[in-house]
Amino acid sequence: MNLRLAIDRLILLAVFLGLWQACSMGFGTHWFSSPIGTTLRFGELSLNGELLYHMNYTAQAAVYGFLVGGIPGLLLPFMLRKQAVLNAILDPYFAGGYGVPKLALAPLFVLWFGIDLEPKIALVASIVFFLVFFSTMAGVQAVNPQYVNMARVAGASERDIARHIVWPGAIPYAFAGFRIAAPYSIGAAVVGELISSNRGLGYLIQAGATDFDTTTVFVSLATLTLIVVVINIGVAHFERWLLRWRPRTGAGTSWVAGA
Amino acid sequence: MSSPAAALEVRRLSKRFPPRPGQSESPWVLSDLSFCVGDSEFLTIVGPSGSGKTTLLNILSQVDGASGGEMLFRGESINLASAALNPGLNCHIGYVTQDDNLLPWQTLIDNVTFPLKLQGRLNQESMARMQGLLKAVNLIGFDHYYPHELSGGMRKRASLIRTLAYDPPIILMDEPFGAVDAQTRTQLQQDLLRLWNLGRKTIVFVTHDIGEAIALGDRVLVLSRSPARVIYEHHVAIPRPRDLSNFYKLEGFGDMYETVRKELL
Repeated sequence: MNLRLAIDRLILLAVFLGLWQACSMGFGTHWFSSPIGTTLRFGELSLNGELLYHMNYTAQAAVYGFLVGGIPGLLLPFMLRKQAVLNAILDPYFAGGYGVPKLALAPLFVLWFGIDLEPKIALVASIVFFLVFFSTMAGVQAVNPQYVNMARVAGASERDIARHIVWPGAIPYAFAGFRIAAPYSIGAAVVGELISSNRGLGYLIQAGATDFDTTTVFVSLATLTLIVVVINIGVAHFERWLLRWRPRTGAGTSWVAGA
Repeated sequence: MSSPAAALEVRRLSKRFPPRPGQSESPWVLSDLSFCVGDSEFLTIVGPSGSGKTTLLNILSQVDGASGGEMLFRGESINLASAALNPGLNCHIGYVTQDDNLLPWQTLIDNVTFPLKLQGRLNQESMARMQGLLKAVNLIGFDHYYPHELSGGMRKRASLIRTLAYDPPIILMDEPFGAVDAQTRTQLQQDLLRLWNLGRKTIVFVTHDIGEAIALGDRVLVLSRSPARVIYEHHVAIPRPRDLSNFYKLEGFGDMYETVRKELL
């Protein structure tokens, strides 16, 4: 990253903080917490461990939900690849499942699974599954038939083709799904907590807003943003390592999106 | 055209693709096409663009089925219109396609040893042979490069030795040097002849380039416009080894070129 870019970004940050401070002064800190107040509270809640406690809860819901939804979403397209009839039967149901607004299912999940971690995991999983499933499916279907023919002529079994041709070819598509799903999983975990919870960053936001304590709300939002940014960087690096066989394109400034 | 030393004989091959929606019947691509290729012979087949050359090789390699016809290999008849295709005929028929089809997620060395790995034949002996092939086509030192880091000519050579490395008795080639510049092309043709000289495989080489067909082949078959049949056959008397850097000066080349050109009109 060159110096000019870094300076420009810092200037933008200063403008953003200035606007934030102006809003806070204009509307009053009850409605709009100030950057300084938020920073101080951030430090306070970090030091007394409260922030970590809530963050941990939200992260758990997001990670478990990501795994519970993401692993079947990743594997199912490979299992359905050779099952044309089954795939055709299931297709409208997957499309319908994708169409259901998952957040609207949250009360139902609370009813079924109670108010601890399980309903949040279910909510996250229901969103992640479809995002990963559809993008991986697109990758499985985009397999280059010429590679398959080449491998068959060279003596490949169906297993070999799945392992050496279809799987590596579909990985970039699966990652496109992961990249979209990762921030959604944090978001869904938070929504789950907003609806019913006594822990987690979503709970903290809810509690803060009820008490007219916008500083706590802002601290929670900043923490969530940080988590998502860190996850994005992690996914992007993992992807870059895994897909090192691909030609690099673009200037590489979009490291957050990992493109 | 049958002879006792035939490595492969193709009989009465015909092909038409399934009709498109709203079409009652699709036209014949191949019709009553027969030929044979002798053991260790370099057979070239030249035909106009769109005459079904790729379709022909797809059928012989059994990645696609025929509408009718059979193939004789080592005294065994293979029904090419059968529903159960056997691509590559148990690794007896290699196929070098128009596109190099190197797997972009594998390095050069993984790509060229891919068939050996699939066949469970990757050992010290085959690896030594592979090193020899890499050397023969000037690809030493690029083992760990990914395909997108190689030039077009290098990729073509890699795709060539990927098939040569597992030593199928018959190799089909579909205009493998179509998409490269003229200079690289001559180099690749020279490489191919040198490799062929080392192993003397049976080769069926399809092209629309008359010069290439004559310069490389022992025998040239001329295909008609579609539906494709073999309409002419020429034995190329030009002695080997041939210097391809100016093959148009080779004895007898010009006359044959003219003849084939007129046959293709």
